[in-house]
Amino acid sequence: MSDNKNNNGKIDTRTIQSILKENKKQIKLGLTMCAHCSLCAESCFLYMSRDLDPEYMPSYKFLHSIGKLYKKKGKVSAGQLEKMRDLVFCNCVLCTRCYCPFGIDIPSLITLGRRVCRSQGLFREYDKA
Amino acid sequence: MNPIISHIIPVEAIVDFIYGPLIWLSFVIFAAGLIVQTWRYKMMTKINDNPPLIPKKEIPKSETGSRWERFFYKLAFFRLSVMGFNPLLVTISLVFHLCLLITPLFLLAHNIMLENVFGFSLPSFLPGTSHLLTGIVLACGFFFMLRRIIIRRVRAITTFYDYLILGLALAPFLTGFLAHQNAFDCYDTLILLHILSCEILLIMIPFSKFFHMIFFFFGRFLIINEYSLGAPKRSWQF
Ligand code: HEM
Ligand code: SF4
Ligand code: SF4
Repeated sequence: MSDNKNNNGKIDTRTIQSILKENKKQIKLGLTMCAHCSLCAESCFLYMSRDLDPEYMPSYKFLHSIGKLYKKKGKVSAGQLEKMRDLVFCNCVLCTRCYCPFGIDIPSLITLGRRVCRSQGLFREYDKA
Repeated sequence: MNPIISHIIPVEAIVDFIYGPLIWLSFVIFAAGLIVQTWRYKMMTKINDNPPLIPKKEIPKSETGSRWERFFYKLAFFRLSVMGFNPLLVTISLVFHLCLLITPLFLLAHNIMLENVFGFSLPSFLPGTSHLLTGIVLACGFFFMLRRIIIRRVRAITTFYDYLILGLALAPFLTGFLAHQNAFDCYDTLILLHILSCEILLIMIPFSKFFHMIFFFFGRFLIINEYSLGAPKRSWQF
């Protein structure tokens, strides 16, 4: 097994779609209500400590993982899903401290992103660099 | 109007519809939509009687300590809040939303129509004040647009839809202002565009990102959350 491809590069779109369907209401709510305002940025200590890299901003992490999966109806490539794995596993520790003016539950949306990745054998391997 | 075009498309009937029934229809859809959507979201929540994660007695009270300690505690809280980190954006956003709501409500022309139709009306601003408020809304909108283009982290999450939403929110103000000035000598066209853009906006509010005008209070005052306000009792039950 290679470092980054513990799923042999295969994507099971049907499984992804069933996870999306099961959590449709929650995902749709988050996507409709997020004003793309970036006010959540400074509430994330990882964003603050990684040179204000937008890829650590809470909204970026859910919009570009579960949000993108939802918009693409689960049809993503292995490469795209690996990028999402990095976002939801490496760029967030689910400390649940993120602030959103509308009270969007960002960590639980990132958790859904993790669930999709895990269903495809993609997760963070702490024993590997 | 070219007679061939007006033969194919009933332009006059469409214009009459925009000037008449669509106004009423859009207000009804707006009001009913707000109620239905709020109800729909409420059905997705449930009273949560689990004990709070952190028992109340273990939360340190900010009222203890000397007057100065309390003052600095509040100052530190403010500095670490969203206002402390984004004072410019939060201030402009507050001004934008305030002007957005009060300008149309207290506009003389709107209130004259209210008086004519219902026999009652709200107080009105002087025309100069209304012009100023309209200018503020447009300037704040311009600020939001610039920030979407310039700031890296905002650009990273911006889509075409964000510009569309911003444009739809500003369109009534721009067209209303231009019509009032009789810009380009096209009062009739501009006022039609003004009415149409307001109708589109009203119809869209309950079913789009604009619904945040309700959801903001819904999400913060009704749902138990790290940053909730008041004493909420509900949790999402998707
Ligand atoms: C009355 C209750 C309302 C509240 C509490 C509210 C609150 C907010 C908040 C917290 C944001 C995100 C932060 C920001 O960009 O400043 C926002 C953004 C926005 N709101 Fe509202 N809003 C309300 C009503 C409205 C209405 C009635 C409209 C338009 C018809 C509107 C249009 C917008 C737009 C266009 C944005 C996005 C600005 C951008 O591009 O960043 N809002 N609102
Ligand atoms: S998650 Fe909340 S704070 Fe962050 S961009 Fe979306 S609406 Fe703004
Ligand atoms: S839960 Fe994730 S996104 Fe939110 S503050 Fe913690 S690390 Fe940042």
